[in-house]
Amino acid sequence: MTFITPEPPTNNNSFSPCQRQSDPENDEKMFLFLQAAAAAAAKPAQYTGTYQANATGYQATYAQPAAQTTIAAQPTTQAKQANSTTTYSGYDAALYSAATMYVAQQGGAAQQKSGGWQGYKKGGIGAKNMRTKAPPKPQQLHYCDVCKISCAGPQTYREHLEGQKHKKREAATKMAASVAVTNQNRAGNSLRCQLCDVTCTGNDAYAAHIRGAKHQKVVLLHTKLGKPIPPQEPEIIGGPRNGDSKDDEVDEQPEPDIQPVGQDYIEEIKSDDGKVISFNCKLCECRFNDPNAKEMHMKGRRHRLQYKKKVNPDLVVDVKPSLRQRKIQEEKMRRAALREEFWARRHYNMPEDEDDRMYWEDRRRYEEEYMEMCRRGNLGPYPRGRPPFPGGAPPYFQGGMPMARRTESSDDRHVMARHSEIYPKEEELQSIQRIVSHTERALKTVSDQLAESTKPKEGQAQQPPTPQQPVAAPAANAANATPAAAKPVEAPAVVPKPESENKSAEQQQQQPKEDGRDNQLFSFQQDRDANRILKGVMRVGHLAKGLLLRGDTNVELVVLCADKPTLALLRKVVDLLPPALKQVAPENTYTVTINAAEAGLTVVGDGLTVLVQLTSPIMREQEAASGGLDRDVLARGKCLQALAALRHTKWFQARALGLHSCVVIIRILRDLCQRVPTWSPLSSWAMELLAEKVISSVPGQVQLSPGDALRRVMEAVASGLLLPGGPGLGDPCEKDSPDAASGLSAQQREDLTCSAQYALRLIAYRQIYKVLGMEPLPTQQKVFRRDRSARKRRRSGGEQADSESDSGKMVKTEGTETTTETPVK
Amino acid sequence: MARGGIRGRGGMNRGIGRPPYKVKMFLPRHPFDLALCESSFPRVKPAPDETAFTQALLKRNVDLSPTASEQTAILNLVTKIQTVLDNLVVAPGAFDACQLEEVRQVGSFKKGTMVTGHNVADIVVILKTLPTREAVEALGNKVKEDLKSLMKSEVVTKGEQLTHTTNERGIEISNSFACVRVMVTTLHHNIRKLDPEIHLDQKIMLSHLAAIRHSRWFEENAHHSSIKVLIRLLRDIRTRFEGFEPLTPWMLDLLAHFAIMHNPSRQALPINVAFRRVFQLLSAGLFLPGSAGITDPCEGVSLRIHTAMTLEQQDICCLTAQTLLRVLSHGGYKHILGLEGNASIAKEMSVWDGVVVSPLDKAYENPPEKKDGEEEDEDMEAEGDESMETIEN
Repeated sequence: MTFITPEPPTNNNSFSPCQRQSDPENDEKMFLFLQAAAAAAAKPAQYTGTYQANATGYQATYAQPAAQTTIAAQPTTQAKQANSTTTYSGYDAALYSAATMYVAQQGGAAQQKSGGWQGYKKGGIGAKNMRTKAPPKPQQLHYCDVCKISCAGPQTYREHLEGQKHKKREAATKMAASVAVTNQNRAGNSLRCQLCDVTCTGNDAYAAHIRGAKHQKVVLLHTKLGKPIPPQEPEIIGGPRNGDSKDDEVDEQPEPDIQPVGQDYIEEIKSDDGKVISFNCKLCECRFNDPNAKEMHMKGRRHRLQYKKKVNPDLVVDVKPSLRQRKIQEEKMRRAALREEFWARRHYNMPEDEDDRMYWEDRRRYEEEYMEMCRRGNLGPYPRGRPPFPGGAPPYFQGGMPMARRTESSDDRHVMARHSEIYPKEEELQSIQRIVSHTERALKTVSDQLAESTKPKEGQAQQPPTPQQPVAAPAANAANATPAAAKPVEAPAVVPKPESENKSAEQQQQQPKEDGRDNQLFSFQQDRDANRILKGVMRVGHLAKGLLLRGDTNVELVVLCADKPTLALLRKVVDLLPPALKQVAPENTYTVTINAAEAGLTVVGDGLTVLVQLTSPIMREQEAASGGLDRDVLARGKCLQALAALRHTKWFQARALGLHSCVVIIRILRDLCQRVPTWSPLSSWAMELLAEKVISSVPGQVQLSPGDALRRVMEAVASGLLLPGGPGLGDPCEKDSPDAASGLSAQQREDLTCSAQYALRLIAYRQIYKVLGMEPLPTQQKVFRRDRSARKRRRSGGEQADSESDSGKMVKTEGTETTTETPVK
Repeated sequence: MARGGIRGRGGMNRGIGRPPYKVKMFLPRHPFDLALCESSFPRVKPAPDETAFTQALLKRNVDLSPTASEQTAILNLVTKIQTVLDNLVVAPGAFDACQLEEVRQVGSFKKGTMVTGHNVADIVVILKTLPTREAVEALGNKVKEDLKSLMKSEVVTKGEQLTHTTNERGIEISNSFACVRVMVTTLHHNIRKLDPEIHLDQKIMLSHLAAIRHSRWFEENAHHSSIKVLIRLLRDIRTRFEGFEPLTPWMLDLLAHFAIMHNPSRQALPINVAFRRVFQLLSAGLFLPGSAGITDPCEGVSLRIHTAMTLEQQDICCLTAQTLLRVLSHGGYKHILGLEGNASIAKEMSVWDGVVVSPLDKAYENPPEKKDGEEEDEDMEAEGDESMETIEN
């Protein structure tokens, strides 16, 4: 206590840091002591008042007993205290420090020499000055210990004390305790200038600070005031608190020798005379005037981070695990882990959930379809024994799921819409069916009559038979008695392999039928009567293939004869037919005319024309020999054509009918050939062959939807299939398969290709309606998908049933079945 | 947003009648390809004699191949630059503006498909560091210096003076005989760190990486010399017929490979057949919307290469091929190869042996609502991938 009494008034303020950080209990005493000291020094009243106000304010707020932190945050005395053997309580420490300072003050320059930094300072000039000049008015120097600055006069000092900066700093000091805690968490080596209470992040920064103007000023001031100047060695923050391990700590974590990086990205800004005036770091977007600062910046953490981010991702920048960052980092890791786990689980489960289900769904549908196909009489998925693709499907196609493309595309909708426009109406079909059926039955009657007449006189087929209608008619009528029940709904499902005509005719015998609506040969033979001249009749052409379009009025039948058909035979038939027709259909009126040029006759009624051609397989065999021999025989060319028509029909039934989308596309193409002059030179038979070959040659046996099938046909023609030099269309129904399209001239081929090329691109660019010659359908609204397609679906479903399994029969008597069979698409 | 709504509704609706699965699955289909279904189209008459045509193709190839002096010039330059760059990879020394990971030759020089008159070789440099403009600049300077020191013993004629330029792809070093493009890129995992303001463009960097994959693929799959001949012919045709401009060299590579190798026997087709097949394929719409086209073998996701073209370009490319195919079938191969006549045959009416070959119109039209539909569909195609990606991220 002896030290305390004579305190120079100017030093009053120097206590405040100590006092602020001391224990609350001690504060009271300290305060009293200070008051006393102030009074003794006869300070100006307002000065004391201000101070008191401060002190009380402090007392009120600072209620935290923190003896430990006091020491930590007490820069000026700690170094010394750390060396001393005894531990001081807060209060004693304060007293001690005050005393030390006083002694130091008295000691003057002598003591200050022991400090390391007089090198800069030329040894306490300020103190000397004070001593020599200013003892009478020492209060001229107003020093704020919190901010470590001096003020010119009391007025400015007061203003300073009320200013923002001081208040902030004061608050910061109050928070010193918590700061210390934070510092503890910071593992990086921060260096702290004890004199200025400035924390620097590294050796360089510290050195820069020591060199800096601010530090110099403070040193100067402290020297002037004669206050103790702590050693220049920086206090290391962030190491363990206990003193003995401190040194090791420093050794363990030496400041890494950081190489500056990114020199290239710092541009020098030069003044007009070429002198470098400042630097601009392009990576960090900051500028500095000082070369030292530039160096510092290039070693700095922020710059290095930017460099790592923008230039070299491999650069190692030590992490700065501040509490907040570490928390963020941890949070990130945790989330990443969670996410990973989530996806791992999801990935694991997905095959079960999504892929598998879809796979099985497709699989199920495929199988259903397969069963359906089998049920309808097709023997398997590839009923026609098509040779497999040579060398297997190329890998390009293996990825595609053959059954996946089932949803209707816009092209499909357009094709099916157009198809329904060109497909004949129900009434048309029925009236055609009626006239054809009547003609067939009448022909059978005629055949029976001819057979009757020839029986007694064998070998004289030429002789006109006596009408025996009363005998024949009941039989015929009896056979017709059960037409509704025997309507061959099921029969056409069996698509037979192409067989010899005779054999199939014999097959039909087992099942007597009343007309040829199954589009097979309607045989007239009953009990192997070898002498029958008219053996049977068969529908050929568009009628038999199911290619009739709306507005078609011409249909064709071919009557097979046992021998070469002669004009006499034709005449006889023409004579016999009208009464037979009358008998078969009393209510209808038909006119029968002979058409020798076509080797047949025509039956006209209801605005429809049935061309009945007579031919015989023998016409083919005897070849050139028959040339001029028999003048009575009908035109050979026409007879051969009729035979070819028979083969075409058989081929069509065997190949095209079972092919998905094929019949639809052929109908569409037939319409195209009728509409577009460029396409008209393409004969119907060539076109059918083309479509069938193109659609059936899809690698991998993929079924095409109607839209795709049409596009593929266009692609084929566009790629020059029909051009001169192309492979041509081999006709399977002729010897040595000649080109079915040989009739086309080079220019016609060129024009066809040209047209198809344009059509293909129109299809690709969603203008298929232009190719089809129709109005564009409104774009599909998916939301109303079911409503929109309800009408169309029924129709297209009916069609598909036709095209896939039926033999293109013209009468859709099974209307109810069609609706129920509508596949859910 | 709307789409999501639709999807939700669709799901509910479908839930009634049938199990919910993807309503619209876009499955591009492969167009008609005669070479793959020859069994369905047996020749009805023997194929016409094409010796003259084949000879013309081979002759044109010879004409198009670079001359010996061109080859020497480019080889010299490439070797030097490759040496310099290799040194930088192995021993960067004081050069620290960027770190080189790998140096690779790519492009037509590497593939051996160069066309005379275009003596440019490409080298891709992969940087370990990020490709800032400064780094490229510094690399350019370094290469320049090293080249100088490498060539200081040589007598440099005036034509062999090197000029160095830097562009957004990298460095170009050229003399009056040859040009080497050193294209800069960075490691794949750095790509997303690129910032357009500081670094070179990300798309370009990716394209350079792709170029490396392409040349690798080519080495492994397309070394057959027929392919190289065909590529050279196609490149020439591309420059002469405007409609083929949008076809990139990579598309031509794949197309030539496809035309020659993609057939049931897996044996290379003769050049005349393959040449015609290219036009047949393009005419059949190989590169049209809705076609499976050719899948890029160097991209992880299945990417149809022709989608890099706009819809209009696809149309024009197709119609040009269609017209030329017809010209070709009427015997106009000399005009197509550029041996006589000019490129007007693709756009104007021409007469061959009395057959009038007329040009085609574009099918692509661009009214607003059509465009929407088109885009919607493209979106659909892309959508699958997109949603997949978002799922993964």
